[in-house]
Amino acid sequence: MTDHQLTVTIAKDLADLIPMFFENRKKEIASLRTALAAGDFEQLRQLGHRMKGVGNSYGFAAISEIGKRVEDGARAADRAGINACLGEYADYLSRVQVVYE
Amino acid sequence: MNERAAATAAYRVLVVDDDPDMVRFLAHLLQREGMSVETAGDGKSALLKVMTSPPDLMLLDVVMPGVSGFDVCRELKSDEATALIPIVLVTALEDTESRVRGIEAGADDFLSKPVKLEELIARVKTLRRLHETRKELESRRLAAEVQRKEAIRKAFSRYISPRLADRIADAAGEHGDPFQGRNQRTSLVALFADLRGFTRLTEQNEAGALLGMLNEYFAVLTEAAYQHDGTIFNMAGDSLLVGFNVPFPQPDAAERAWRTALEMVARFEPVAAAWQARHGLAVGVGIGICTGEAIIGNPVNIAARLMQMAAAGEVLLCGPVYERIRHLVPVQRVEGRGDVTLRGKSEPIPVYAVRAGTREPA
Repeated sequence: MTDHQLTVTIAKDLADLIPMFFENRKKEIASLRTALAAGDFEQLRQLGHRMKGVGNSYGFAAISEIGKRVEDGARAADRAGINACLGEYADYLSRVQVVYE
Repeated sequence: MNERAAATAAYRVLVVDDDPDMVRFLAHLLQREGMSVETAGDGKSALLKVMTSPPDLMLLDVVMPGVSGFDVCRELKSDEATALIPIVLVTALEDTESRVRGIEAGADDFLSKPVKLEELIARVKTLRRLHETRKELESRRLAAEVQRKEAIRKAFSRYISPRLADRIADAAGEHGDPFQGRNQRTSLVALFADLRGFTRLTEQNEAGALLGMLNEYFAVLTEAAYQHDGTIFNMAGDSLLVGFNVPFPQPDAAERAWRTALEMVARFEPVAAAWQARHGLAVGVGIGICTGEAIIGNPVNIAARLMQMAAAGEVLLCGPVYERIRHLVPVQRVEGRGDVTLRGKSEPIPVYAVRAGTREPA
């Protein structure tokens, strides 16, 4: 498991967007789990790809990094690898702290 | 809305991405810069939005379910109405292949995810400047074209009907030279008209009064010529030369010339009657019509000779013109003059006289 920085500093004017952003990440975890259970690697690849693009844009580098691993894992049909990523992702989301400046 | 936002609110950006968080993020950054933002969550609704309300710029995600960003870009760039809208492809893909596909699809620029604020704003502003410069150049070009057409219309409007002047101006806009490719040796129908009794008129009237009468006379004849899209070649003394089948082909040129002659005579009749009442002068229009090849030369000379021979209210026609319009003329009004050798011509030509007016020849 990667040691992700759990305190993330975000520009103050993005503050209004962050609650919705996290709401959507929770939904994303649910979608990832459903896709993994169904063995839908195409869906997993798309979701990983999306995480990769959006995470870093908001300032959450860890989300992009996990997303890239999910995308790569989906291409390789690596269930176990993706499962580990999902655990890591859920853990990260439960512990991350946002600081606005 | 703050001051900066108000100043740039007119600049509209359409953000297209299937990830709602990405859409909100990009919209937020652009709105912060004072731009007006619309959004679409897939390629199909993006195309619909562009068609109904074209934006000034598009930020377009590449990987979307259904219609991809490449497809949207290709479709918009292949349509003349939307081809000029700048498109920035936004993608997490940073590989060369995607960029090449984007260029092939017609994208104007690229932006990689994660999106960095400074890069996004710099690219949008650059494209905005380019787009506005392009629009400015286009509006200047259109203004210059309108000016040029107006100049052409003015230059020609003294000689041809407003309809033909518009046609020439439009052709000039499309091809540069409105007469390009026209056959120099055109079959022309020439109509010569002059005022019978003009000499007596000049003897009995002051120059000022005469000028007013001539203006009235030419106004009536010119109106008749324009009515049938004739081209005024010459206006001298009391005679008027009108050409048909020039500068644009008129398959019914002889009929047009004939109708113009009738109209000239008819329109001038009340004027002549008024002059007669006022000055006791019997005047009328005499007309000669002939057809042939070339603009300057035979047909014009023959029409001039025929006109000289024509009495007031009479139209003299050369044989070929009469053959073309004979179905339009009541036979009792036609008088065949046989083959006539005109002054200055060696070969005799068939001549027909038609009484066009309702009054007796003066």
